[in-house]
Amino acid sequence: MSAAKLERLLNLTALLLDTPRPITADQIRSQLEVYPSDEAAFRRAFERDKDELRSMGIPLRVEKVPGTMPAIDGYRIPREEYALRDPGLTTAELAALHLAASAVQVEGLPATEGLLKLGGIVADGSTSDLGIHVAPLPADPNLAILFAAVSARHAVTFRYNDEDRTVDPYRLDFQRGRWYLSGYDHARADERNFRLDRIASAVESGGGSTFAPPETTVPGRARGAWELGAEEPVRAVVRIEGPAVRWAVQHLGPDQVRSVDDAAIVELPVTNRAAFRSFVLSFLEHAEVLEPADLRAEIVEWLESIA
Amino acid sequence: MSAGAEASSVRLQRLLSLVPWIAANDGPTIDEITARFGITPSQLAADLEVVWLVGLPPYTPDALIDVVQEGDRVWIHFADVFSAPQRLTPDQAVALLSAGASVLALPGADLDGALAGGVAKLAAVLGVDAAQVLDVDLGGAAAEVLDVLRTAVRDRRRVHLDYYSYGRDTRTERDVDPYVVHAEDGSLYLLGHCHLAGAERRFRVDRIAAATMLEDRFEPPVDATVARIFQPDADDPRVVLRLAPAARWVTEAYPVESAVESPDGSVEVTLAIAAVPWLERLLVNLGPDAAVVRAPDDLAHVGRRAAARILARYR
Repeated sequence: MSAAKLERLLNLTALLLDTPRPITADQIRSQLEVYPSDEAAFRRAFERDKDELRSMGIPLRVEKVPGTMPAIDGYRIPREEYALRDPGLTTAELAALHLAASAVQVEGLPATEGLLKLGGIVADGSTSDLGIHVAPLPADPNLAILFAAVSARHAVTFRYNDEDRTVDPYRLDFQRGRWYLSGYDHARADERNFRLDRIASAVESGGGSTFAPPETTVPGRARGAWELGAEEPVRAVVRIEGPAVRWAVQHLGPDQVRSVDDAAIVELPVTNRAAFRSFVLSFLEHAEVLEPADLRAEIVEWLESIA
Repeated sequence: MSAGAEASSVRLQRLLSLVPWIAANDGPTIDEITARFGITPSQLAADLEVVWLVGLPPYTPDALIDVVQEGDRVWIHFADVFSAPQRLTPDQAVALLSAGASVLALPGADLDGALAGGVAKLAAVLGVDAAQVLDVDLGGAAAEVLDVLRTAVRDRRRVHLDYYSYGRDTRTERDVDPYVVHAEDGSLYLLGHCHLAGAERRFRVDRIAAATMLEDRFEPPVDATVARIFQPDADDPRVVLRLAPAARWVTEAYPVESAVESPDGSVEVTLAIAAVPWLERLLVNLGPDAAVVRAPDDLAHVGRRAAARILARYR
């Protein structure tokens, strides 16, 4: 890109950041003195410049210039929306973030730009890599907008399983190789999980009022596919024995294991019955659903259709 | 890379971060600046030449940013309008927090170390509690096992594993030369040379009950790439299944040897069967969505018999 364009964009950004009140396009043209004098050419160049700044996420706002009648559009970049509050990262902390970002990448989302904003790429001499090779995490077109909504605590709307949903987005999870959104489904008046790759529309973020943060605490452990569904939750009790017990107990975590002898009794929250069935049957005859009765009956019905 | 070849947005982004940083640090060296921002000295020189001409109306010398270079040190003054870099966009925030959160969620991660501190501070300026809003799980493992494996990979030492083989539904002990620990699809895998099998194998780390480092050392192959999960044996029996549309995921999840489509959306696949329990699980899982079309006599009724065995518990 030409140095002249870079200089112009920087000066435009500075001008719009510095001004306390919105300034008009004509004022911008006369102050910067670098735009074409031809009206149409100026408009085109100015539009492109605004687009370029906005595409970087710079909050370039259009506001009515106070005191004008009829009201004229003016532009400014509100400093309080533009500036990054200094997080106060030490060199070691910045280096650790760089190390993590080098090892774990989200497809199509380079971490470099973010790191530059935080003070650049620094390497800590001590550890040069994570010791684990991580395949890039899949991207999702709705990931960033959902994160923004989670951060700002704004409700979102999207189409899921042939239904329009309005949800207060609580958290994003990456589990079992997929992205999930946990949130409060307004229509069902309950918390649900949604797979991002099943969201059938662009997510729209409501803006406006914010919701109160949820009281539910974070599980702090890996969640199984059976608890990542959108169905009415059910508490299942399963008995597991045999060579896989030790693995199952390790995998499920202490808060789901009721007792262990040579068998384990586990209690699982189920919101995806098909995944639950799949999980239980993977133990073949070494596992049995004890409760609830209807889930046990479903398993029996399924097996009878095969046997 | 020559300064002129870069996209405008890349240079602009960089300058909006570079200027505040140099201004906030007292005369950093060219070496430090170029290292931090991933540029060459000539790119930096070209960038600073542009910065010289940036300021506020009336763009007289006292209203322009002042760039001073003495020896190899650079100072920037009167850049108050750029005293802070731009906020992180949601994309950038997700990329960094996901990376941080995933490494912190690995078994055995230091929850009081530099990364934890960095993630907490970053989350604070983003206005979120990282632990509450984002959870990235790369895969399970026993912390001690993962620790041993990472050290063994780094030091090229053989390990002894106590392993639960899911496919065969058995526990075995085996010596393995660990090449790499790999995270994919929500699980951690160890790729290495298994001395029991006499070949390269991939192990699910969360099925390793225990791992001990041995004295023996090894040379990893030149390109220890991550291999596919399963190398079918020529002698393994083959089974042909008809899959209903709902079971098509099998063609993507497993290395089917052939897949013949039908107009109704069903597909006929051929699978090599290395262990009977694996086939039992698959058929019991798929239920009415799969039918055995062709199989050796001893495998033909595997699904039905497994279902009957499991049903016996419920009656």
